[in-house]
Amino acid sequence: MFQVQGLVKSYGSLRAVDGVSFTVAKGELYGLLGPNGAGKTTIMSMLSGLLAPDEGRILFDGIDLAGEPLKVKAQLGVVPQEPALYENLSARENLSFWGGLYGLSGAQLKQAVDRVLELVGLTDRAKDPVKQYSGGMKRRINLALGLVHGPRAVLMDEPTVGIDPQARLNILEAVKQVAAAGTTVIYTTHYLEEAEQLCDRIAIMDHGKILAEGTLDELKRRVGGRDVVTVRGSFDAAAVRPRFEALPGVSVTSVEPGRLVLSVEGSGRGAVDLLSHVLADGLSIDGISIQPPSLNTLFLNLTGRELRD
Amino acid sequence: MRILVHLVAKDLLRKTRSPFGLIVVLCFPLIFAGMIALAFGHGDSLPKVRMLVANEDDGLLANGVASVFTSQQASKYFDGKTVTAAQGRALMEDGKGSALLTIPKGFTKDVLDGKPVTLTLLRNPAEGILPEIAEQTVGALTDVLDGGRRVFDKPLADLRPFFKDDGKAPADSDIVAISLAIKRGIEGMSDLVFPPVIVLESELLGNVKAAPQKEAKKKGDAPSSIFLLVLPGIAVYGLFLVADQGMRDVMTERTLGTLRRQLAGPIAPESIILGKAVYTAVLAVMAIVVIGGVGAAVLSAPVSLPAFLLLSLALVLAVTGTTAVIYGVARTERQASTMGNMIFLAMGFLGGGFIRVEGLPPAVRGFAPFTPLYWGTQGYRALLENGAGVAGIAQHIGVLALMGIVFLGIGAVALRRTARRGASA
Repeated sequence: MFQVQGLVKSYGSLRAVDGVSFTVAKGELYGLLGPNGAGKTTIMSMLSGLLAPDEGRILFDGIDLAGEPLKVKAQLGVVPQEPALYENLSARENLSFWGGLYGLSGAQLKQAVDRVLELVGLTDRAKDPVKQYSGGMKRRINLALGLVHGPRAVLMDEPTVGIDPQARLNILEAVKQVAAAGTTVIYTTHYLEEAEQLCDRIAIMDHGKILAEGTLDELKRRVGGRDVVTVRGSFDAAAVRPRFEALPGVSVTSVEPGRLVLSVEGSGRGAVDLLSHVLADGLSIDGISIQPPSLNTLFLNLTGRELRD
Repeated sequence: MRILVHLVAKDLLRKTRSPFGLIVVLCFPLIFAGMIALAFGHGDSLPKVRMLVANEDDGLLANGVASVFTSQQASKYFDGKTVTAAQGRALMEDGKGSALLTIPKGFTKDVLDGKPVTLTLLRNPAEGILPEIAEQTVGALTDVLDGGRRVFDKPLADLRPFFKDDGKAPADSDIVAISLAIKRGIEGMSDLVFPPVIVLESELLGNVKAAPQKEAKKKGDAPSSIFLLVLPGIAVYGLFLVADQGMRDVMTERTLGTLRRQLAGPIAPESIILGKAVYTAVLAVMAIVVIGGVGAAVLSAPVSLPAFLLLSLALVLAVTGTTAVIYGVARTERQASTMGNMIFLAMGFLGGGFIRVEGLPPAVRGFAPFTPLYWGTQGYRALLENGAGVAGIAQHIGVLALMGIVFLGIGAVALRRTARRGASA
């Protein structure tokens, strides 16, 4: 459904998106996972036609977004990161306006509004002005606004940022229902668990590039059953690096002052052997963490940083 | 077209939910014009101070003081009437005078003798600012007399014998001596530090009746109402404030993120800009209906409806265009608001919104025709004061329409840039 080819977007000397390509099939829930500043929102802005790429192109069902933007936009739903609502209108009035903007009217519009109010669990508060809603409720209406016209594909840009766990659960449940109904979803997040829980396929991003892409199983296999061991202490990381590299099954992922990230073979056993070696070597260690293979360890392996860094 | 109606309906619905700002701006011209009308009388005619003068002295200086209010030159501002003290008081109690000035017996002699004298001013509390004008005028007169008496003390003493009715003319040498004394007096004016010897006592009259109602005006009278004199300028100024509220919504929607959301939908930026322009125009039309309705209720003379409608339409075009340029050029809502207020105020002063253009200094007056506010104000004044028809204000309509089209063109290009900034925000 979506074919994204070689997208590039720069702001001055900063290359926010650097040659990104991916495809999303019809009915697929595709995740863009990466830390803040990875370029996810810039990609979403380009996918929704708000931002023109410097290079590359976006095809939706074979139609070039740059060539026929209104035709493509009519089939998309957009859920921005920050709720974009008319606060002095009710939820129903907000939904009616946005539905009408996409051509719905009369009974069809009313049905669509009722459907999405039900989906996000706000039917009983539909007549209240949005300004009386809690933050979580505003997020839910924000999601509903992107779905009211029944789009074929929805672009959701971190729709759960900054809300309480209950509201987050509601939104994730609604997203699952939307995807289950056959709507294509592109979903950005920096929460690993959201990507793991929701997405059929995930692209891991950093510094404007896709570092890895695949299903959750494919990505985990890519870690290759290797643990990620992070050693912190008052040692000279660069000086001790060769000693670790010399150990069997150990590769150094990242070296920073007082911090060494290692990829260790052996599903737990290797990490324990490494720990014994570190202690025997008399290094001044403040802490050591061992993480089993996961998206986070893959990200660590790929970038030397954790997602929350 | 459907989308345009949908966008404008949404904005109007939002405005009805938070109407306070619009109501304030709509009421502003009416309140302002109403206050001016109340302050300068009762709104029926150009105000004159109805000054009653009870001259109990009849000396030279007393007559001079009285003539300040009763002379032909004073008739532009004062409706002066010479009365006895009893007549004056009776007229005041009937509400037929703004103020009663009593010049006591012996006033001229006492002034010439350098004795303290008191002028009494009785003010009518039922009138607004008119008795105040009377008091200020008499106060100024008192100061002049008092200062003059002190400065010219010696020549006045020399003059005293010639006020006697013995028919003796002063000798040339006497006149030269008195003239020199006056000259020295003027030179020594800086030494004037004594307490005043002429005092004005002012008091308010109690139990005054309301001023008698004037006869209702007949249809066809020239509109002389203060309210209607002030209203056109201030209403056109108010119209810019109303339009500002409409066009400001572009920036508000940018801040809300709803502009970006609309741009992500199947809607061209031009439609959104056009929607805001139409919304702004609708608000301006509403303002004209409200203010024009109140004006029509006060108005006694007929006004050409086609001329009024055409002028209003052209003005709506011009104010929408002006605000479109302001909000297109500004980068932030705050910047636009500041810029807008400055431009509107400048136009208000230069274009005759607050002070009639004829009252402006010639150098400033030259700028007036460059403002749409001038053409709007002058057009409405021509309708109200001269009973002009479409032909009489064709130039006003043409200039406003041209300004509107040019400004809307510039504004549309600039606003498109604002919309693009909103999309990438």
